Amino acid sequence: MAYVATRGGEYAIEQAERLFRADLGPITRERVDAVRTGLPYLIDRLMGEASLYEPDLAALALAQAGGDLYEAILLLRAYRTTQPRIAVADPIDQPDLLTVRRISAAFKDIPGGQILGPTLDYSHRLLQVDVLQGNDYVPEPVIPAAKPAPATQPSLTSWQKAQGLIPNHPGETVAPEEIPDLTREPLLFPAARAHKLQSLARADTGGTLALGYASMRGYSAVHPTVNELRLAYAPVRLRHPSGTIFSAGRVRVSQTEVISKVKELQLGFSATFGWNEVKVIAAATLDLASNQPNPHPAANEEFVLYHTEPIESSGFCIHFKLPHYVTFQSTPDALRRVKTDKDTAAVKPAVTEKLAPQQEEVAL
Amino acid sequence: MTEEKTGNPVNASYTHAQALDILAAGRPAHIKAAAEKVLDTLGEVDVVVNRTGLAMLPLIDTVRSTAFHLGEVLVSEAHIRVPDRAVEGYGAVVGRDLEHAMGMAVIDAAIAAGHQAGLILELLNAERRHQEKEDRQLLQKVEATRVQMETF
Repeated sequence: MAYVATRGGEYAIEQAERLFRADLGPITRERVDAVRTGLPYLIDRLMGEASLYEPDLAALALAQAGGDLYEAILLLRAYRTTQPRIAVADPIDQPDLLTVRRISAAFKDIPGGQILGPTLDYSHRLLQVDVLQGNDYVPEPVIPAAKPAPATQPSLTSWQKAQGLIPNHPGETVAPEEIPDLTREPLLFPAARAHKLQSLARADTGGTLALGYASMRGYSAVHPTVNELRLAYAPVRLRHPSGTIFSAGRVRVSQTEVISKVKELQLGFSATFGWNEVKVIAAATLDLASNQPNPHPAANEEFVLYHTEPIESSGFCIHFKLPHYVTFQSTPDALRRVKTDKDTAAVKPAVTEKLAPQQEEVAL
Repeated sequence: MTEEKTGNPVNASYTHAQALDILAAGRPAHIKAAAEKVLDTLGEVDVVVNRTGLAMLPLIDTVRSTAFHLGEVLVSEAHIRVPDRAVEGYGAVVGRDLEHAMGMAVIDAAIAAGHQAGLILELLNAERRHQEKEDRQLLQKVEATRVQMETF
């Protein structure tokens, strides 16, 4: 093993960081607030991938990283390691979700009906360029209905199971403390379903989309349709020292089931922190596709879970920037030797050509 | 969540779980202001814990009923004792507001001691009405987005 000494490294590193931060300018409370209130879907995506729900910290991480999402995820995950785990909340069940958006593309007459909620799905995508001329864009307010929507919506899968359309999988009762936890146990294959869903919940949105999209386009045996998509608020139910279970507040979550007919109707599932429809649809597709026998590599469980882990994959990618001088040195050395050998070989036939042309033909 | 309501006016109106739900979701400034008033007469308070920490949040998969971890939520918690009244108080709120958690713990201890019940009941009623109003307004906007699908 050999090492490369660096001269002036400490000073240069400090100045490099200063140069990076000088571009961003001061990080102020006002800037953090503006990021949190102005970019809620980016905050949601960040909290999901960081596996830590705290919008102020997520906004701070984004501001501090200048919008570099992977850097911000790293900051949040690093912060997470400084905090003690003080509780495992009571599991959230479908009826607990205060639901603000709930649609199905597979069944139009679903129990509880279809509620579009906050979405741009059916809107023209127009840039409000007048804003750049100093004319503020002030959105039109929602005209509220006379009656409120039900706070919760019935479970579509329960209805489908009752109809015999999909198989019923009675759940095992697992104490919250006994649920398998990726952050404390290694990911082994075949993965426990709890590990797989936890891994997808914190997976990189872009990576999940790339592999999910590959599956949707035909690199798997499933053709997904959204069975149900929900955006909701979930209660974080903790235990008081006296044993009373109570809600310490709500967090934004999204969840999706996709349905596909292989031999029978089958469902895939995914959920994540924050409102991130693309990720949960792609991840639910990957869940379903990876459950098939002999899945395509794009939907292979091990391939998917390893390559959509945002910190490991981005960290591996950017580590190639770090000094590899010694290990890489062998490659140019080998190339130089090959070049030298070729040059030598090229000179020798030229000499022998004059002397013995027939020998060259044999050599070729 | 299932405990019985007793003769205390707070406990007569709210279960312990309901009171805690309301305090955690309450407006922090209102919770803190009420806690300040309660503290003036509650007696000496020992702080057992006042910190931020993580609560792992599990969710049940609707397809195979598998409970799995969605991720961790940063919460603030406070645990206090009031030796003179032989009661404890506990508060936990989503987020980083340690004062909110402490205010909740103070009010929780006061509820356990039957102390300042009128003030606390007024606070709980006001915060419950506020939360119900906010939820109703949200759900009225949500209802405005309901669609009927027809196939031709």
